Amino acid sequence: MSRPEVPTVIFIGQPNSGKSTLFNSIAGPKAETSNFPGTSIKHTHSRVNIEGRLLDIVDLPGTYSLCTSDPAEQVVLTHLFSERPDLIVNVVDASTLSRGLELTLELVELGYPTVVALNMVDVAERKGIELDAAKAERLLGLPVVPTIAAHGRGVRELLDRAFDVLDKGQSLKPLRFSDDVETEVAGVERLLPPGFPIVSNARFTAVKLIETAGHACGDFLGEVEPGLRETVNRAKQAIEKDRGAPAYEVLSAERHHQAMKLAEEASRILHGQRMTWDKKVDAILMHPFFGYVILAVVFLAFFVIIFKVGSPLESLLLGPFNNLKAALSARLGGGLLFYLAEGLIQGVGGGVAIVLPYFLPLLFLMSALEDFGYLARAGFLLDAFMHRIGLHGKSVSPFILGFGCNVPAIVSTRILESHRDRVLTSLLIPFIPCSARTTIVLALIAFYLGPFWAMGFYAVNILVVALVGWAVSRFMKEPSPGLILEIPSLKAPRLSSIVSKTWLQVLSFTKFAWPLLIGGSLVLSLLNYFRADRWINDLLAPLVVKGLGLPHELGVTLVFGFLRKELSLIMMLQALGVDYQSLMTVISREQIIVFTVFISFFIPCLSTFVILWKEIGKKWAFISAGLSIAVALALSWAVRLIL
Amino acid sequence: MNLLDAPHGKPLRIVDLAGGENVRRRLMALGFHKGDVVELDGQAILRGPLLVRNCTSDTTVALGRGVAQKVLVEAVHEPA
Repeated sequence: MSRPEVPTVIFIGQPNSGKSTLFNSIAGPKAETSNFPGTSIKHTHSRVNIEGRLLDIVDLPGTYSLCTSDPAEQVVLTHLFSERPDLIVNVVDASTLSRGLELTLELVELGYPTVVALNMVDVAERKGIELDAAKAERLLGLPVVPTIAAHGRGVRELLDRAFDVLDKGQSLKPLRFSDDVETEVAGVERLLPPGFPIVSNARFTAVKLIETAGHACGDFLGEVEPGLRETVNRAKQAIEKDRGAPAYEVLSAERHHQAMKLAEEASRILHGQRMTWDKKVDAILMHPFFGYVILAVVFLAFFVIIFKVGSPLESLLLGPFNNLKAALSARLGGGLLFYLAEGLIQGVGGGVAIVLPYFLPLLFLMSALEDFGYLARAGFLLDAFMHRIGLHGKSVSPFILGFGCNVPAIVSTRILESHRDRVLTSLLIPFIPCSARTTIVLALIAFYLGPFWAMGFYAVNILVVALVGWAVSRFMKEPSPGLILEIPSLKAPRLSSIVSKTWLQVLSFTKFAWPLLIGGSLVLSLLNYFRADRWINDLLAPLVVKGLGLPHELGVTLVFGFLRKELSLIMMLQALGVDYQSLMTVISREQIIVFTVFISFFIPCLSTFVILWKEIGKKWAFISAGLSIAVALALSWAVRLIL
Repeated sequence: MNLLDAPHGKPLRIVDLAGGENVRRRLMALGFHKGDVVELDGQAILRGPLLVRNCTSDTTVALGRGVAQKVLVEAVHEPA
């Protein structure tokens, strides 16, 4: 058999098996692309050189099984079945061995060369389970290497075994199901028509046809021919008649029992269930009272850290850009060139000043909380509240991310299984005050009216999210399947893993949003240069002056608000021709509130709009924009009525 | 009885997974099958989700009440 120049190695494992940690410890910081939390839809690909041998290694999203209806997990199947990897590294969480082995057994059925990384053996030991890797290796018929990816232990041996398999090849023998099931599988296998797109081997293809036929996840096996469909249905019915349960359930149960037996034989219980530290911590984290106290503290800490770190950093970072602008202004005068340069600087500077100071600490904290296992617990605690707005606990982590920036938050809705939940969550995220809008709220409301007003603004904002969610979910009644969320065991977060996670996220955010920021800023500069602000103001006067009771000059800031929310403040001052300290001389308290409310809500910013379009479609992007405008108008008028 | 009526902290055997194919498949993928022994570990306030621990694989999932209702269990009588 001729091997391709650079073999492809795919990493597969169940969620929370430490797969990405292992991947990172091998690929290092060389991984090319990454993904937002929990949503490795775009897989990470990287070429590594290990002692002179090149490998193309691919990190796929976590998946519980090879027969899944979860959209995020289906990516795994598509990738795995369409691209024949040279080797699979199956990462199994040793502390939940029997469940992990169910996926391993499916991989053995698939039959590609495979090595198993029995990861987190330290956690298993803490739980009182001693593992016998050699025994597991004999039972499964493939290399099983104990590892502790977080400490880099066992990685060396894993690679040696992997190279060994790559060099010598491997033949896997799937475990047999019960005889009656095997008979049906063999029947389908025999009748596969010539030319049918076989995945790996005929038996695996037959098993998957029986397991998935009539279900959306059977699509990747291609159109089932009419004759074959009948054969498959007959096999399914035969199994169902014998066992009194659907065929997919019978197959899954067979594997489940094989896995339990394997796990039992390959491990030894050292001592009974002890109250380990993580169990004690968990009892508090998910306590019906203290759990919520801790949640509130975590949220508060989030804001405090972001603004204690963010604000000073922002002014520090913006300084050089402002100096550069001033210098250019002196050199270039007021020509077109200066305006273009100004737009460029503002775009680049805005990216640095927003992304670095606010986004970085937020992502860092998010990664830490995710690694620790807290996000799932927050989802558990808040599930009941989310039900009130037609969602469930899984939407909590996209919402939290939305406080930093709406764009990655919308991307991360990919973790939601149902399309309806995804759309609803994505529609609500633009109402969550991102760091750019928080900057405006702090600068205008907290500074001029006092911190209590700002807190009130936040409270009203959360209420608005809830109300809009409640209202929109009236129109999207399709029942949500309800929460099924794994609560992974708590893990001490490791700095290196958090840093690399944060870094990869910042990178992919920058790739998407920075060009948009720069483009938006250039457009703004050109508008300025051609003095387009005057006719924009006239055009918007009915809304701005009559509708909102704001000065005529502020019309143009709404356009700025669409392109760059955080610029609205500077633009507001520019438009009114005053400096920050003397704002109150030209505008009233009431007008400040109306302006802040309107600018915060009236439309998702350009980047958010684009990502909505990309992720859930044009229709919903426009619905989101319409919804925002309606809410902004209603709120602004309400504010005028009350004050 | 279903999980909503079941006592907390006692071993329970799953006798059936009711509900639609999607929910059943998801539960099975997460390692919850007929015949498994599970334990209720906690519950969130305001009719929130239940924490269900699978005693064999030692994995825990949070199940919303709608899902929990579809998991039928019986008490396991431990040998004295």
